Amino acid sequence: MPSIKVILRNFSGVRGLVIPILILFTWDWMARQDATHAYAFSTFSQIYAGLSELLISGELQNNLYASVGRALTGLLIGASLGFVTGTAMAFSRVANILIAPLYHTIRQVPLMGLVPVFALWYGNGDTSKLIVVSLSSFYPVVLATYESMHQVEKKYTEVGQVLKLNQWRVFQKIVLPAAMPQIFTGISFALAFAWLSTIGSEILFSAGSGLGNLMMNAQQASRMDILIIVTIVIGLMGYGMTLFIQKLGLYLFRWRK
Amino acid sequence: MGNTHLGWKAWISPILLILAWWWVSKSGHYSTDVLVPPQDVWLSFKELLSSGELFQHLSVSLTRLAIGFLVGAASGVLFGILMAVSSQTEAFFLPTFQALRQIPTITLIPILILLLGVDETFKIIIVFKSAFLTVALAAYEATKGVSKNYFEVAKIYQLSTYSVYRKLVLPAIVPPVFTGLRIAFSRSWTILVAAELLASDSGIGQMMQLGREMFRLDVVMVGVVITGIIGFSIDRILKLGEMKLIPWQNRQLS
Repeated sequence: MPSIKVILRNFSGVRGLVIPILILFTWDWMARQDATHAYAFSTFSQIYAGLSELLISGELQNNLYASVGRALTGLLIGASLGFVTGTAMAFSRVANILIAPLYHTIRQVPLMGLVPVFALWYGNGDTSKLIVVSLSSFYPVVLATYESMHQVEKKYTEVGQVLKLNQWRVFQKIVLPAAMPQIFTGISFALAFAWLSTIGSEILFSAGSGLGNLMMNAQQASRMDILIIVTIVIGLMGYGMTLFIQKLGLYLFRWRK
Repeated sequence: MGNTHLGWKAWISPILLILAWWWVSKSGHYSTDVLVPPQDVWLSFKELLSSGELFQHLSVSLTRLAIGFLVGAASGVLFGILMAVSSQTEAFFLPTFQALRQIPTITLIPILILLLGVDETFKIIIVFKSAFLTVALAAYEATKGVSKNYFEVAKIYQLSTYSVYRKLVLPAIVPPVFTGLRIAFSRSWTILVAAELLASDSGIGQMMQLGREMFRLDVVMVGVVITGIIGFSIDRILKLGEMKLIPWQNRQLS
């Protein structure tokens, strides 16, 4: 016989399901009312039919592939540039004086507010989207790189001097390993921002493919079923990426206590 | 990397940038449609200001922001505390709450447009959602973090429920909740600008969108600068409020 504790734990899991189930059934019920409701809501069977339609035509896979590719490319570009910029700021006072004020000023502008500027300069498609995504992952990596290296530098460079290491060896053997965990945290933030801005830029730049573009087309065609499916996919992908990078961090820095 | 310790040197690169911008646009390599000279941006700023257009757009945007953010933040604080102190509420709501948190707010824009149309309701709801979830999470985690020992001490002293919240919970959760408020504000502002760019007949985002459609880079640039200044100023105000309310944290402006 299971102990009372186990039953209670199961019961608390069930309580968590009450609200999602209520929402789902209200949703389904709303969709079955009159025509105006059916326009905005969709039944389970419609959602299921929409899912198989998207999967058979390959629309979901293709657009998911485009979005993930964009997020990762943007992350790679933004994080690399961010790492270089942050490093320069940590080691050169001149670089810090020149870059820090611009960094702090430009960062104040909401990223989506830059959309019309990029649209005028680079058009409505892939280039503009990639710039927005790269920029979103650039910001956190600059900050993490600069701050972690700045802190390390003071503490350990003296050891390097005692050991008569040259600047490059100090950077490679002392600063970089010590700063790496915090930089990695910055990169994991950058991944979350990259995914968010991928979807955001796809919603705001109408040309090309991606889950955001799929959503905007679905909205224009009043296909609530597709919107729901894509939203769930976006949420699951975001969750999966966060989980993956957390586990990766734990694995990479397992030597840390 | 605060600007404070740089002093006057913090002005070097922004001034250099504006000079370079002015010089390149003057050289005539690019058409003024692509690279609008800084003095043109300044002129259209004055024009938008004196015609009252800018003020009109701003007051619409800020009203949306104020309603959505204030209602969202206030109910977020209450809901977060409730979820932390009541295990029933937590069991019922936390899983749904955590699932919703995985969905970027911007993803909800197309759904909300389909459900509510492009009217005011849609914009206020999206700001509300963005503020509510962020603040509720901050309040929930902060309240959960208050040590159980404190509650036991309060029990021994037989403090009333009111005193427990007033003297124990509130002071403990104010700092993290304030951090949550600042994050929530910046998210709300970004999402409002995005919503206005996408579907609106007024507001600062719509002004920028119109500028984009009419190839008026000067108008777009005015919008960029204004949205930046507003984001920055309100963050500063929240930060000052934080320092006033929580003097013992003695944080620096950064």
